[in-house]
Amino acid sequence: MKSEKIDPLTCEEGVARLDDYIDRELSEEEMRRVRHHLETCAGCAGHFRLEEDVLQQVRDKMRRIAVPGDLMARIQKRLEGE
Amino acid sequence: MSTVDSALDIDRQPFESLFTPLLSSAYGAALRLVRTRPDAEDLVQEAALQAFRAYHTFQPGTNFKAWFFRILANCFISRYRRNRKERDDLALDDIEDLYLYRRTVEAGIHGSDTSPVQTLLGKLDEEQIGEAMARLPGDYRAVATLYFIEDFSYEQIAGVVGCPIGTVRSRLHRARKMLQRALWQVAVDQGLVSRLTAPEAS
Repeated sequence: MKSEKIDPLTCEEGVARLDDYIDRELSEEEMRRVRHHLETCAGCAGHFRLEEDVLQQVRDKMRRIAVPGDLMARIQKRLEGE
Repeated sequence: MSTVDSALDIDRQPFESLFTPLLSSAYGAALRLVRTRPDAEDLVQEAALQAFRAYHTFQPGTNFKAWFFRILANCFISRYRRNRKERDDLALDDIEDLYLYRRTVEAGIHGSDTSPVQTLLGKLDEEQIGEAMARLPGDYRAVATLYFIEDFSYEQIAGVVGCPIGTVRSRLHRARKMLQRALWQVAVDQGLVSRLTAPEAS
């Protein structure tokens, strides 16, 4: 199988793409370039893990929200008034 | 129940069947957008009412969640613009990369088998995370809320808040950095950092 040639990124270019990489908002080609850089640069790989970890922990805690038990009933009551 | 009441119930039923499963995430997003539970409840109720009134414009088969969140975001934005006096605690200056990591290391926070950032975040509860989020300026808070709570893509967020994808991207990148700084400030303000760096904490 023919191996795909990857245009390597510098650390600065890799870090600039990190948020988009984490969010999978890059093209396939750009995703491959960042992935390749993270596989070959321990410093940027550590940076990536830290960023991803912060996002995950914040996301998990932000989603722990209890909805007031009577909120739907109050909304229905207001809709009834329409 | 009278015939008229039954007819009205039938009228509300299609809307409610789509809205009810969204209530939890709508309330979660509202709570991160505004600062208090009563305000979040008001915001969700206002958005539900507006959505119900506009339901005839919703096209069946399209994404109801995105449609509803657009209304919720609009309610928030108009409320936020009315209350611009609401403090925006964070200046929009440049914030360095890995802000939280640098601060935790500088402060000497460490855990037995976690990174300093994990140690700090592990101690912050949902209320404190919400407090940090509330310190973001409204436009940034809106995109960050949709990102963290709803897992919306940049394109979906752009559709909800009504701005170009490039604007969502740049606001989100800045919001993430601002949030790291706000988390640190909340941890400092509430004495968490001093507790974690006190001699008996190590």
